[in-house]
Amino acid sequence: MTDTNYRWYILFPNHHQGLRLSRELKKQGLKSTIVPTPRAASSCCGMSLLIEPSDLEIMQQIITELRIEIEKVVKLPIKDGWQYRSS
Amino acid sequence: MADYRQMWSDLGMDLDKHDLLCEALPDAFQGVYLSQENRPQGMDFFNFVVSEIHGVRPAELMEHQKAGGKVFGTFCVYVPDEVIFAAGGIATGLCGGSQFWVSGGEKVLPANTCPLIKASVGARLDKTCPFFRIADMYVGETTCDGKKKAWEILSAEVPVHVIDVPQMKRKKDIEAFQGEILDFIKIVEDFTGNKITPEALAKSIKLINNKRKALQRLYAARKAAPVPISGKDALLVTQIAFYDDPARCAEMTNILCNELEERIQAKEGVFPADALRILVTGTPLAIPNWKLHHIVETAGATVVVEESCTGTRYFEQLVDESGSTIEEQVKALAERYMKTNCACFTPNPGRIDDIIRLADEYKVDGVIDVSLQFCNLYSTESYLVKQALADRGIPVMHIETDYSEQDYEQLRTRVEAFLEILRK
Repeated sequence: MTDTNYRWYILFPNHHQGLRLSRELKKQGLKSTIVPTPRAASSCCGMSLLIEPSDLEIMQQIITELRIEIEKVVKLPIKDGWQYRSS
Repeated sequence: MADYRQMWSDLGMDLDKHDLLCEALPDAFQGVYLSQENRPQGMDFFNFVVSEIHGVRPAELMEHQKAGGKVFGTFCVYVPDEVIFAAGGIATGLCGGSQFWVSGGEKVLPANTCPLIKASVGARLDKTCPFFRIADMYVGETTCDGKKKAWEILSAEVPVHVIDVPQMKRKKDIEAFQGEILDFIKIVEDFTGNKITPEALAKSIKLINNKRKALQRLYAARKAAPVPISGKDALLVTQIAFYDDPARCAEMTNILCNELEERIQAKEGVFPADALRILVTGTPLAIPNWKLHHIVETAGATVVVEESCTGTRYFEQLVDESGSTIEEQVKALAERYMKTNCACFTPNPGRIDDIIRLADEYKVDGVIDVSLQFCNLYSTESYLVKQALADRGIPVMHIETDYSEQDYEQLRTRVEAFLEILRK
């Protein structure tokens, strides 16, 4: 599988840290989307950031500079053929 | 990751069962929402609320309770939130939009009850909704028979106050609703221990009006072609408006609207300018019920307006802010709320007028009239809706459905056939 078959997520110990990074990425014009954390990434409910893998390096710099706490970066395969399911 | 399990445990929730819901939501959200192209950045706040839906807001409500405040769980757009906020309380919506909760409701309700009621009762009895666990009082109303009986079942769990919504719109009915609001003020004052002053009520009337104005602005943006936001995203904003802090919800909706208005200027949209435009009318689509919108918008058309309680009925009318006494303010509240055109009224020509007006304002190609299964009122009224729209040459299809995915492919086939007819 190529990288286009995956989605990349940053997980956080709490939503405050996630929102801090989300705000900073927006300020710097870097694309990210807040999403519910997939179960395959963590058994806890809550937000994570869906990011572009090409921005990962610069994001790591921002995380270090601003001392944003993250839990981990997770790469998950995109599920093919998702069919509507009531949540 | 944020771990809310201690909080849910303190609330007496069934953690194992609730965990099944937590497991399903991310996939459903990604499947429905992340499959869209070019979503507005301003949707990120609403993505956040969904991601933390049983965490952040419930924690805020519990903080409010720790500080001595009361939380009122509400089900319907006829409950005057203004009264609750004027007494220092918080009004919040309650769970009721997922198939996950339906089987819990069916343990005590007849199977031929609408899924909204079954899901609501199930969410409470199965202990899988933090909002149902947190609310100190539920505020019901008399907009259908199923709900009237459901309040009696729920009142064994939590104090319930029922507002008697008149079933006609004569002058004496509007006066009767004024009386209901006055009674509600007394109930809320006694329950919170706070007196509702004209100043406090004036402030909360403005607060809720501001939320309505922000939602009006959002919907006004959907009149543009190409449409700058999908129907699924707009629906999500309205669904969240029932739960979120009203001032924050207005602020975040207005930020989203700034972006949408820039898109309109730049003629930037999420669907081609010639995409078919659909008006959805009927019963409410409570979060996370995104089924119909997903079907329509993955078939190449876009939902541009909802004439429903999770749409225009929620915010179209404002409360007159000029009243300076409780009597004047209550009169203004009653007049505003009684302008909402629910199928519980007889006759109810105002709703048909609204559908025709909105079809024109939003330049729709067709109307989908959707009723939740076993909603006798809306299903019966669909006959009159169909007749009135046919008289004006507006294509319409009626759908009766529930929350499950059982009829998903059947519905998709029917919707695609309807869109095909509109294209000819």
